[in-house]
Amino acid sequence: MPAYNMNIYLDNNATTKTDSRVTEIMTQYVESIYGNASSIHRIGIKASLGIENARNIIASKINAFPEEIYFTSGGTESNNWALKGVYNANKDKGNHIIVSSIEHPSILETTKWLAKNNAKITYLPVDKIGFVKIEDVRKAISKKTILVSVMHCNNEVGTIEPIEEIGKLCRKNNLIFHSDACQSFTKIKIDVIKQNINLLSLNAHKIHGPKGIGALFIKKGTPIEPFMHGGGHENGQRAGTYNSPAIVGFGKAVEIAKEQENTNIKNMRDYFISEINKRLSCYTLHGTVGNQRICNNINISFNNISGKSLFTELNKRGIYISTGSACSSNNLEPSYVLTAMGICEKVAHEAIRISLSKWTTLEEIDTTINNVCNIVNSIRK
Amino acid sequence: MKLITANEVLNLKGVPCPQNSAKALLKLASMDFNEILEIIIDDGEPKENVPSSIESDENYKVITLKKSEDNSWHLLVKVIQ
Repeated sequence: MPAYNMNIYLDNNATTKTDSRVTEIMTQYVESIYGNASSIHRIGIKASLGIENARNIIASKINAFPEEIYFTSGGTESNNWALKGVYNANKDKGNHIIVSSIEHPSILETTKWLAKNNAKITYLPVDKIGFVKIEDVRKAISKKTILVSVMHCNNEVGTIEPIEEIGKLCRKNNLIFHSDACQSFTKIKIDVIKQNINLLSLNAHKIHGPKGIGALFIKKGTPIEPFMHGGGHENGQRAGTYNSPAIVGFGKAVEIAKEQENTNIKNMRDYFISEINKRLSCYTLHGTVGNQRICNNINISFNNISGKSLFTELNKRGIYISTGSACSSNNLEPSYVLTAMGICEKVAHEAIRISLSKWTTLEEIDTTINNVCNIVNSIRK
Repeated sequence: MKLITANEVLNLKGVPCPQNSAKALLKLASMDFNEILEIIIDDGEPKENVPSSIESDENYKVITLKKSEDNSWHLLVKVIQ
Protein backbone atom coordinates (compact mmCIF):
# COMPACT_ATOMS: atom_id res chain seq x y z
CA MET A 1 0.00 0.00 0.00
CA PRO A 2 1.43 3.41 -0.92
CA ALA A 3 2.16 5.76 1.94
CA TYR A 4 0.06 8.89 2.08
CA ASN A 5 0.74 11.88 4.26
CA MET A 6 -2.53 13.66 3.64
CA ASN A 7 -4.96 14.78 6.26
CA ILE A 8 -7.90 16.30 4.44
CA TYR A 9 -10.98 16.61 6.61
CA LEU A 10 -14.18 16.80 4.56
CA ASP A 11 -16.75 15.57 7.07
CA ASN A 12 -17.82 18.93 8.47
CA ASN A 13 -21.54 18.11 8.42
CA ALA A 14 -20.64 15.51 11.09
CA THR A 15 -18.51 17.84 13.20
CA THR A 16 -15.90 20.57 12.80
CA LYS A 17 -12.47 21.32 14.19
CA THR A 18 -12.72 23.72 17.12
CA ASP A 19 -11.40 27.22 16.38
CA SER A 20 -8.34 28.15 18.48
CA ARG A 21 -10.09 31.39 19.57
CA VAL A 22 -12.84 29.18 21.02
CA THR A 23 -10.43 26.89 22.86
CA GLU A 24 -8.55 29.93 24.15
CA ILE A 25 -11.59 31.43 25.88
CA MET A 26 -12.74 27.99 27.06
CA THR A 27 -9.35 27.44 28.71
CA GLN A 28 -9.84 30.66 30.71
CA TYR A 29 -13.15 29.32 32.02
CA VAL A 30 -11.61 25.93 32.83
CA GLU A 31 -8.46 27.22 34.54
CA SER A 32 -9.29 30.65 35.99
CA ILE A 33 -13.01 31.49 35.92
CA TYR A 34 -14.02 28.05 37.18
CA GLY A 35 -16.62 29.20 39.74
CA ASN A 36 -20.10 27.73 39.67
CA ALA A 37 -22.15 30.21 37.67
CA SER A 38 -24.96 29.85 40.21
CA SER A 39 -22.76 31.03 43.09
CA ILE A 40 -22.92 34.64 44.19
CA HIS A 41 -19.22 35.14 44.93
CA ARG A 42 -17.09 37.10 42.45
CA ILE A 43 -15.71 34.07 40.64
CA GLY A 44 -19.24 32.69 40.25
CA ILE A 45 -20.55 36.00 38.93
CA LYS A 46 -17.63 36.21 36.49
CA ALA A 47 -18.65 32.81 35.11
CA SER A 48 -22.27 33.96 34.96
CA LEU A 49 -21.16 37.08 33.11
CA GLY A 50 -19.53 34.92 30.43
CA ILE A 51 -22.69 32.85 30.09
CA GLU A 52 -24.97 35.89 29.76
CA ASN A 53 -22.64 37.38 27.18
CA ALA A 54 -22.81 34.15 25.15
CA ARG A 55 -26.60 34.13 25.49
CA ASN A 56 -26.77 37.70 24.13
CA ILE A 57 -24.56 36.83 21.14
CA ILE A 58 -26.62 33.76 20.22
CA ALA A 59 -29.95 35.57 20.70
CA SER A 60 -28.90 38.47 18.54
CA LYS A 61 -27.83 36.10 15.72
CA ILE A 62 -31.42 34.80 15.36
CA ASN A 63 -33.27 38.02 16.32
CA ALA A 64 -34.46 36.60 19.67
CA PHE A 65 -34.44 37.96 23.22
CA PRO A 66 -31.60 36.62 25.41
CA GLU A 67 -34.12 35.15 27.87
CA GLU A 68 -35.50 33.01 25.03
CA ILE A 69 -32.20 31.07 24.74
CA TYR A 70 -31.89 27.95 26.93
CA PHE A 71 -28.58 26.09 26.96
CA THR A 72 -28.68 22.32 26.49
CA SER A 73 -26.14 19.54 25.95
CA GLY A 74 -26.54 19.76 22.17
CA GLY A 75 -28.87 19.39 19.22
CA THR A 76 -30.15 15.97 20.28
CA GLU A 77 -31.28 17.26 23.67
CA SER A 78 -32.82 20.37 22.12
CA ASN A 79 -34.81 18.23 19.66
CA ASN A 80 -35.93 15.82 22.39
CA TRP A 81 -36.97 18.71 24.63
CA ALA A 82 -38.89 20.51 21.87
CA LEU A 83 -40.99 17.47 20.98
CA LYS A 84 -41.51 15.88 24.40
CA GLY A 85 -41.91 19.23 26.15
CA VAL A 86 -44.57 20.50 23.75
CA TYR A 87 -46.40 17.15 23.71
CA ASN A 88 -46.58 17.00 27.51
CA ALA A 89 -47.68 20.62 27.89
CA ASN A 90 -50.42 20.46 25.24
CA LYS A 91 -52.13 17.12 25.83
CA ASP A 92 -55.41 18.91 26.52
CA LYS A 93 -55.30 20.51 23.05
CA GLY A 94 -54.33 17.50 20.95
CA ASN A 95 -51.89 14.67 20.34
CA HIS A 96 -50.98 15.06 16.68
CA ILE A 97 -47.45 15.99 15.60
CA ILE A 98 -46.26 16.56 12.03
CA VAL A 99 -42.60 16.00 11.10
CA SER A 100 -40.76 15.52 7.83
CA SER A 101 -39.54 12.04 6.95
CA ILE A 102 -35.94 13.24 6.55
CA GLU A 103 -35.47 14.71 10.05
CA HIS A 104 -32.41 13.87 12.14
CA PRO A 105 -32.71 10.62 14.16
CA SER A 106 -33.07 12.69 17.36
CA ILE A 107 -36.45 13.80 15.98
CA LEU A 108 -37.50 10.54 14.36
CA GLU A 109 -36.59 8.35 17.36
CA THR A 110 -38.38 10.80 19.66
CA THR A 111 -41.56 10.66 17.56
CA LYS A 112 -41.36 6.83 17.66
CA TRP A 113 -41.22 7.03 21.45
CA LEU A 114 -44.06 9.56 21.58
CA ALA A 115 -46.16 7.29 19.33
CA LYS A 116 -45.82 4.59 22.00
CA ASN A 117 -47.21 7.16 24.44
CA ASN A 118 -50.43 7.91 22.55
CA ALA A 119 -49.13 10.54 20.12
CA LYS A 120 -50.24 10.43 16.49
CA ILE A 121 -47.42 11.24 14.09
CA THR A 122 -47.60 12.27 10.44
CA TYR A 123 -44.37 11.87 8.47
CA LEU A 124 -44.33 14.32 5.56
CA PRO A 125 -42.95 13.03 2.26
CA VAL A 126 -40.22 14.91 0.39
CA ASP A 127 -39.70 15.29 -3.36
CA LYS A 128 -36.75 13.81 -5.27
CA ILE A 129 -34.42 16.63 -4.23
CA GLY A 130 -35.48 16.59 -0.60
CA PHE A 131 -38.03 19.41 -0.33
CA VAL A 132 -41.07 19.29 1.93
CA LYS A 133 -44.07 20.66 0.04
CA ILE A 134 -46.11 23.30 1.84
CA GLU A 135 -49.29 21.73 0.42
CA ASP A 136 -48.45 18.46 2.18
CA VAL A 137 -48.07 20.30 5.49
CA ARG A 138 -51.43 22.01 4.93
CA LYS A 139 -53.14 18.69 4.15
CA ALA A 140 -51.67 17.00 7.23
CA ILE A 141 -53.00 19.59 9.71
CA SER A 142 -55.97 18.36 11.74
CA LYS A 143 -57.96 19.61 14.74
CA LYS A 144 -55.69 17.53 16.99
CA THR A 145 -52.41 18.96 15.62
CA ILE A 146 -50.26 20.72 18.20
CA LEU A 147 -46.79 20.82 16.67
CA VAL A 148 -45.04 20.88 13.28
CA SER A 149 -41.30 20.15 13.17
CA VAL A 150 -39.34 20.58 9.94
CA MET A 151 -35.57 20.94 9.85
CA HIS A 152 -34.02 24.08 8.37
CA CYS A 153 -31.44 22.19 6.39
CA ASN A 154 -30.94 18.47 5.88
CA ASN A 155 -27.71 17.03 7.25
CA GLU A 156 -27.20 14.47 4.46
CA VAL A 157 -28.19 16.23 1.24
CA GLY A 158 -28.10 19.88 2.33
CA THR A 159 -31.56 20.84 1.06
CA ILE A 160 -32.82 24.04 2.66
CA GLU A 161 -36.47 23.63 3.59
CA PRO A 162 -39.09 26.39 3.14
CA ILE A 163 -39.36 27.09 6.86
CA GLU A 164 -40.64 30.64 6.49
CA GLU A 165 -43.67 29.41 4.56
CA ILE A 166 -44.22 26.55 7.01
CA GLY A 167 -43.91 28.97 9.93
CA LYS A 168 -46.50 31.26 8.36
CA LEU A 169 -48.89 28.35 7.87
CA CYS A 170 -48.41 27.24 11.48
CA ARG A 171 -49.04 30.73 12.77
CA LYS A 172 -52.25 30.97 10.72
CA ASN A 173 -53.42 27.66 12.24
CA ASN A 174 -52.25 28.53 15.76
CA LEU A 175 -49.75 25.65 15.81
CA ILE A 176 -46.34 25.51 17.45
CA PHE A 177 -43.53 25.38 14.88
CA HIS A 178 -40.15 23.83 15.67
CA SER A 179 -37.13 23.74 13.40
CA ASP A 180 -33.83 21.93 13.83
CA ALA A 181 -31.21 24.43 12.66
CA CYS A 182 -28.11 22.51 13.75
CA GLN A 183 -26.72 22.34 10.20
CA SER A 184 -27.72 25.82 9.10
CA PHE A 185 -26.91 28.02 12.11
CA THR A 186 -24.54 30.85 11.06
CA LYS A 187 -24.52 29.53 7.47
CA ILE A 188 -28.02 30.67 6.54
CA LYS A 189 -29.71 33.74 8.02
CA ILE A 190 -32.30 32.90 10.65
CA ASP A 191 -34.85 35.39 11.95
CA VAL A 192 -37.20 33.71 14.40
CA ILE A 193 -39.72 36.56 14.20
CA LYS A 194 -39.83 36.84 10.41
CA GLN A 195 -39.89 33.05 10.04
CA ASN A 196 -42.58 32.55 12.72
CA ILE A 197 -40.50 30.04 14.67
CA ASN A 198 -41.57 29.05 18.19
CA LEU A 199 -38.75 26.61 18.91
CA LEU A 200 -35.32 26.33 17.29
CA SER A 201 -32.58 23.77 17.99
CA LEU A 202 -28.98 24.93 17.78
CA ASN A 203 -25.58 23.44 18.50
CA ALA A 204 -21.96 24.53 18.65
CA HIS A 205 -19.81 21.74 17.25
CA LYS A 206 -20.97 22.20 13.64
CA ILE A 207 -19.65 25.79 13.69
CA HIS A 208 -16.14 25.26 15.08
CA GLY A 209 -17.39 25.39 18.67
CA PRO A 210 -17.11 22.73 21.37
CA LYS A 211 -18.99 19.43 21.43
CA GLY A 212 -21.60 18.79 24.12
CA ILE A 213 -23.27 22.20 24.07
CA GLY A 214 -26.33 23.48 22.28
CA ALA A 215 -29.38 25.61 22.83
CA LEU A 216 -33.10 25.63 22.39
CA PHE A 217 -34.76 28.92 21.48
CA ILE A 218 -38.19 29.03 23.09
CA LYS A 219 -40.36 31.93 22.02
CA LYS A 220 -41.93 33.71 25.00
CA GLY A 221 -45.34 32.24 25.78
CA THR A 222 -44.78 28.89 24.04
CA PRO A 223 -46.35 26.17 26.20
CA ILE A 224 -43.57 23.64 26.93
CA GLU A 225 -42.69 21.45 29.94
CA PRO A 226 -39.21 21.66 31.51
CA PHE A 227 -36.80 18.98 30.29
CA MET A 228 -34.47 18.40 33.25
CA HIS A 229 -35.76 18.80 36.78
CA GLY A 230 -33.50 19.92 39.60
CA GLY A 231 -32.08 23.32 40.58
CA GLY A 232 -33.52 26.51 39.20
CA HIS A 233 -31.06 26.80 36.30
CA GLU A 234 -32.23 28.30 33.04
CA ASN A 235 -35.30 29.86 34.60
CA GLY A 236 -36.34 26.50 36.06
CA GLN A 237 -36.64 24.98 32.59
CA ARG A 238 -33.39 23.03 32.29
CA ALA A 239 -31.64 22.08 35.50
CA GLY A 240 -27.97 21.19 35.77
CA THR A 241 -24.78 23.05 36.67
CA TYR A 242 -23.86 25.43 33.88
CA ASN A 243 -21.20 24.08 31.53
CA SER A 244 -19.62 27.54 31.48
CA PRO A 245 -16.47 26.71 29.41
CA ALA A 246 -18.62 25.16 26.68
CA ILE A 247 -21.23 27.92 26.80
CA VAL A 248 -18.66 30.72 26.39
CA GLY A 249 -17.01 28.65 23.65
CA PHE A 250 -20.38 28.41 21.89
CA GLY A 251 -20.81 32.19 22.15
CA LYS A 252 -17.33 32.79 20.75
CA ALA A 253 -17.94 30.40 17.83
CA VAL A 254 -21.08 32.36 16.89
CA GLU A 255 -19.33 35.72 17.35
CA ILE A 256 -16.48 34.84 14.96
CA ALA A 257 -18.62 33.21 12.25
CA LYS A 258 -18.36 35.38 9.13
CA GLU A 259 -20.78 35.49 6.20
CA GLN A 260 -17.92 35.81 3.67
CA GLU A 261 -16.62 32.40 4.73
CA ASN A 262 -19.88 30.84 3.50
CA THR A 263 -19.46 32.40 0.03
CA ASN A 264 -15.94 30.97 -0.24
CA ILE A 265 -17.16 27.53 0.87
CA LYS A 266 -20.03 27.65 -1.65
CA ASN A 267 -17.63 28.57 -4.47
CA MET A 268 -15.44 25.57 -3.62
CA ARG A 269 -18.50 23.29 -3.45
CA ASP A 270 -19.59 24.44 -6.92
CA TYR A 271 -16.04 24.05 -8.25
CA PHE A 272 -15.93 20.45 -6.98
CA ILE A 273 -19.24 19.62 -8.66
CA SER A 274 -18.26 21.24 -11.97
CA GLU A 275 -14.87 19.46 -12.06
CA ILE A 276 -16.49 16.09 -11.37
CA ASN A 277 -18.96 16.85 -14.17
CA LYS A 278 -16.07 17.54 -16.57
CA ARG A 279 -14.00 14.52 -15.62
CA LEU A 280 -16.39 11.69 -14.77
CA SER A 281 -19.52 10.26 -16.31
CA CYS A 282 -22.39 8.31 -14.77
CA TYR A 283 -22.82 10.07 -11.44
CA THR A 284 -25.84 11.43 -9.57
CA LEU A 285 -25.75 14.54 -7.43
CA HIS A 286 -28.35 14.11 -4.68
CA GLY A 287 -30.29 17.16 -3.54
CA THR A 288 -30.41 20.48 -5.29
CA VAL A 289 -27.92 23.09 -6.50
CA GLY A 290 -27.38 26.82 -5.98
CA ASN A 291 -28.74 28.74 -3.04
CA GLN A 292 -31.29 26.13 -2.00
CA ARG A 293 -28.50 23.82 -0.89
CA ILE A 294 -26.37 24.57 2.15
CA CYS A 295 -23.00 26.00 1.14
CA ASN A 296 -20.80 23.18 2.43
CA ASN A 297 -22.56 19.97 1.39
CA ILE A 298 -22.04 17.60 -1.56
CA ASN A 299 -23.84 14.25 -1.72
CA ILE A 300 -23.01 12.20 -4.78
CA SER A 301 -23.24 8.64 -6.12
CA PHE A 302 -20.94 7.19 -8.75
CA ASN A 303 -22.59 4.50 -10.83
CA ASN A 304 -21.42 0.98 -9.85
CA ILE A 305 -19.02 2.23 -7.14
CA SER A 306 -20.21 1.51 -3.63
CA GLY A 307 -19.98 4.43 -1.25
CA LYS A 308 -18.26 2.17 1.26
CA SER A 309 -15.41 1.24 -1.12
CA LEU A 310 -14.87 4.85 -2.17
CA PHE A 311 -14.89 5.86 1.51
CA THR A 312 -12.34 3.14 2.35
CA GLU A 313 -9.99 4.10 -0.49
CA LEU A 314 -10.15 7.82 0.36
CA ASN A 315 -9.66 7.01 4.05
CA LYS A 316 -6.46 5.07 3.21
CA ARG A 317 -5.18 8.19 1.45
CA GLY A 318 -6.00 10.46 4.42
CA ILE A 319 -9.14 12.04 2.93
CA TYR A 320 -12.02 11.88 5.40
CA ILE A 321 -15.59 11.88 4.12
CA SER A 322 -18.72 9.90 5.03
CA THR A 323 -20.99 7.48 3.23
CA GLY A 324 -24.72 7.75 2.72
CA SER A 325 -25.29 4.46 4.52
CA ALA A 326 -25.46 3.66 8.19
CA CYS A 327 -24.14 0.51 9.80
CA SER A 328 -26.90 -1.24 11.68
CA SER A 329 -26.87 -4.79 13.05
CA ASN A 330 -23.96 -5.75 10.77
CA ASN A 331 -26.03 -4.87 7.70
CA LEU A 332 -25.31 -1.77 5.72
CA GLU A 333 -28.62 0.09 5.58
CA PRO A 334 -29.19 2.60 2.79
CA SER A 335 -29.71 6.19 3.92
CA TYR A 336 -33.33 6.76 4.97
CA VAL A 337 -33.02 10.32 3.66
CA LEU A 338 -32.09 9.18 0.15
CA THR A 339 -34.71 6.43 0.29
CA ALA A 340 -37.37 9.00 1.26
CA MET A 341 -36.29 11.06 -1.77
CA GLY A 342 -37.14 8.09 -3.97
CA ILE A 343 -33.53 7.10 -4.66
CA CYS A 344 -33.29 3.33 -5.24
CA GLU A 345 -31.39 1.21 -2.74
CA LYS A 346 -28.48 0.51 -5.13
CA VAL A 347 -27.82 4.20 -5.84
CA ALA A 348 -28.30 5.07 -2.15
CA HIS A 349 -25.54 2.58 -1.28
CA GLU A 350 -23.29 4.35 -3.78
CA ALA A 351 -23.67 7.76 -2.10
CA ILE A 352 -20.87 9.62 -0.38
CA ARG A 353 -21.11 12.90 1.51
CA ILE A 354 -18.34 15.48 1.25
CA SER A 355 -18.72 18.48 3.54
CA LEU A 356 -16.45 21.51 3.58
CA SER A 357 -15.48 24.07 6.20
CA LYS A 358 -13.96 27.55 6.36
CA TRP A 359 -10.55 25.91 6.50
CA THR A 360 -10.97 23.77 3.39
CA THR A 361 -8.51 24.93 0.72
CA LEU A 362 -8.74 24.81 -3.06
CA GLU A 363 -5.64 22.63 -3.04
CA GLU A 364 -7.42 20.10 -0.81
CA ILE A 365 -10.43 20.16 -3.12
CA ASP A 366 -8.20 19.55 -6.17
CA THR A 367 -6.43 16.69 -4.38
CA THR A 368 -9.79 15.16 -3.44
CA ILE A 369 -11.13 15.50 -7.01
CA ASN A 370 -7.99 13.83 -8.41
CA ASN A 371 -8.23 10.97 -5.91
CA VAL A 372 -11.96 10.44 -6.45
CA CYS A 373 -11.42 10.35 -10.24
CA ASN A 374 -8.47 7.94 -9.96
CA ILE A 375 -10.36 5.57 -7.64
CA VAL A 376 -13.58 5.65 -9.68
CA ASN A 377 -11.70 5.12 -12.97
CA SER A 378 -9.59 2.26 -11.58
CA ILE A 379 -12.64 0.42 -10.14
CA ARG A 380 -14.59 0.92 -13.36
CA LYS A 381 -11.76 -0.48 -15.56
CA MET B 1 -31.25 69.00 45.51
CA LYS B 2 -30.26 68.24 41.94
CA LEU B 3 -32.30 65.42 40.39
CA ILE B 4 -30.14 62.61 39.00
CA THR B 5 -31.46 61.07 35.82
CA ALA B 6 -30.35 57.74 34.43
CA ASN B 7 -29.07 57.33 30.87
CA GLU B 8 -30.58 53.85 30.66
CA VAL B 9 -32.89 51.59 32.68
CA LEU B 10 -32.44 47.84 33.23
CA ASN B 11 -35.39 45.98 34.70
CA LEU B 12 -34.20 42.81 36.45
CA LYS B 13 -37.38 41.99 38.33
CA GLY B 14 -37.90 38.24 38.35
CA VAL B 15 -34.29 37.52 37.35
CA PRO B 16 -32.64 35.26 39.98
CA CYS B 17 -29.20 35.63 41.59
CA PRO B 18 -26.53 35.67 40.32
CA GLN B 19 -27.92 36.10 36.79
CA ASN B 20 -29.19 39.55 37.77
CA SER B 21 -25.71 40.69 38.85
CA ALA B 22 -24.19 39.28 35.65
CA LYS B 23 -26.76 41.04 33.47
CA ALA B 24 -26.22 44.31 35.34
CA LEU B 25 -22.43 44.11 34.97
CA LEU B 26 -22.77 43.21 31.29
CA LYS B 27 -24.95 46.27 30.70
CA LEU B 28 -22.62 48.54 32.69
CA ALA B 29 -19.65 47.31 30.66
CA SER B 30 -21.33 48.66 27.51
CA MET B 31 -21.80 52.14 29.00
CA ASP B 32 -19.48 55.14 28.92
CA PHE B 33 -17.62 56.95 31.69
CA ASN B 34 -19.92 59.13 33.85
CA GLU B 35 -23.11 57.53 32.53
CA ILE B 36 -25.74 56.34 34.97
CA LEU B 37 -27.74 53.10 34.85
CA GLU B 38 -30.98 52.62 36.77
CA ILE B 39 -31.41 48.98 37.79
CA ILE B 40 -34.67 47.58 39.15
CA ILE B 41 -34.37 44.44 41.28
CA ASP B 42 -36.54 42.36 43.60
CA ASP B 43 -36.51 42.59 47.36
CA GLY B 44 -34.74 39.92 49.42
CA GLU B 45 -31.75 38.07 48.01
CA PRO B 46 -31.35 40.31 44.90
CA LYS B 47 -31.35 43.43 47.07
CA GLU B 48 -28.66 41.87 49.27
CA ASN B 49 -26.47 40.63 46.40
CA VAL B 50 -26.72 42.92 43.37
CA PRO B 51 -25.46 46.21 44.92
CA SER B 52 -22.49 44.50 46.56
CA SER B 53 -21.61 42.60 43.39
CA ILE B 54 -21.61 45.86 41.44
CA GLU B 55 -19.50 47.68 44.02
CA SER B 56 -16.97 44.86 44.06
CA ASP B 57 -16.04 46.15 40.61
CA GLU B 58 -14.06 49.38 41.05
CA ASN B 59 -15.41 50.78 37.77
CA TYR B 60 -18.88 51.36 39.19
CA LYS B 61 -20.45 53.14 42.16
CA VAL B 62 -23.94 52.68 43.54
CA ILE B 63 -25.23 56.25 44.05
CA THR B 64 -28.70 55.57 45.42
CA LEU B 65 -30.78 52.59 46.48
CA LYS B 66 -34.50 53.21 47.00
CA LYS B 67 -37.45 50.97 47.67
CA SER B 68 -40.53 51.59 45.58
CA GLU B 69 -44.19 51.03 46.41
CA ASP B 70 -44.32 47.63 44.68
CA ASN B 71 -41.52 46.41 46.98
CA SER B 72 -38.88 46.42 44.25
CA TRP B 73 -35.58 48.30 44.63
CA HIS B 74 -34.22 50.97 42.29
CA LEU B 75 -30.45 51.44 42.13
CA LEU B 76 -28.67 54.24 40.37
CA VAL B 77 -25.19 53.12 39.35
CA LYS B 78 -22.53 55.42 37.90
CA VAL B 79 -19.64 54.40 35.69
CA ILE B 80 -16.70 56.01 37.48
CA GLN B 81 -13.73 54.70 35.50
